[in-house]
Amino acid sequence: METYKLTVNGQQKEVTADPSTPLLWVLREDLKMTGTKYGCGIAACGACTVHVAGIATRSCVVPVSLIGDRPVVTIEGIGQDPVGRAVQDAWVAEDVVQCGYCQSGQIMSAVALLKKTPKPTVTNIEQSLGGNICRCGTYVRIREAIQTASQQLK
Amino acid sequence: MACSSRAMLRLFLTLLLTCAGWLTATLLASGQSASRKETVAPTTREAGLAAWQQVYSVLTHPRCINCHTATDYPQQGDDRHRHLFNVVRGPGGKGVPALNCATCHQGANADSTGVPGAENWQLAPLSMRWQDVNDKILSSADICKSLTERSKNDNMDGTALLKHHQTEPLVHWAFAPGRGRDGTARSLPPLTHDQLVAATRTWVEAGMPCPQNP
Repeated sequence: METYKLTVNGQQKEVTADPSTPLLWVLREDLKMTGTKYGCGIAACGACTVHVAGIATRSCVVPVSLIGDRPVVTIEGIGQDPVGRAVQDAWVAEDVVQCGYCQSGQIMSAVALLKKTPKPTVTNIEQSLGGNICRCGTYVRIREAIQTASQQLK
Repeated sequence: MACSSRAMLRLFLTLLLTCAGWLTATLLASGQSASRKETVAPTTREAGLAAWQQVYSVLTHPRCINCHTATDYPQQGDDRHRHLFNVVRGPGGKGVPALNCATCHQGANADSTGVPGAENWQLAPLSMRWQDVNDKILSSADICKSLTERSKNDNMDGTALLKHHQTEPLVHWAFAPGRGRDGTARSLPPLTHDQLVAATRTWVEAGMPCPQNP
């Protein structure tokens, strides 16, 4: 076991974990931040997406030992960011969510897209969120919400 | 008279030993010189071509060619299947926002989760594709030609190509690719890294000769 100092949503956290433990389990089990979901465990579904140094990252496949001093932002903290706030507002306005399980990952990916591509095309949205799976099939509403958020961020 | 004969004999023996010493020294020096000439002799084209074939055997291994694709996506595995999860090349060869290479691939292998990693994980540029759009590996002659064209290879001369093979983290990764999700070690290229560097050096010293297509 090793002790790691992490910066999560702007706060310093200290955890003791096996170096091979995925960041997801450190967030959920050690830090009790359960907004980030376990979906597939192999980076295939996107439910576990968080931001590491601003990059959308599949926390289920990244060992905590590889995080280093890079700041982590989760769904619990993304609303503090103007783009994150706009995306969450758009998600509510477009009534995107059905069961909700994948949505924290969808929102984290949407924010990462809009930060790099403020005016995304449909192709941009489909490529960037092509790895986030929604079993309820809310894809159309997700796309509309991203476009709404993009307009609000003018 | 007897004394004079002994003096003559001593002189003769001295001269004989001196000549023998000089002859030995000359022969030794000549041998060393020949040996030195052998080490600095220019590498032949034949040796260069043979070395290139060794380099080619590495470049076309899945650990290398999976990211030297002609496609809009990377490949995975020894069967070189399309990368899962709808991963695309993106404008810089590093994916697209929210689905970058770094979304999963970190600075080192993550053997506990089976995700390979190395610094600056990315696809090679399309100018360095080593397969055609039908997923057929390009010939030795074609890859050699594009590798030596500085308009395609990021303006690298032979020295830079050798350094690329010596120091590039993604090249090093191919020889220590870690384990997959099922815990199985990924297959390795047919040469060791040291052998690749040695073969590249021989090829560069031979003037980077390329074979001809049949």
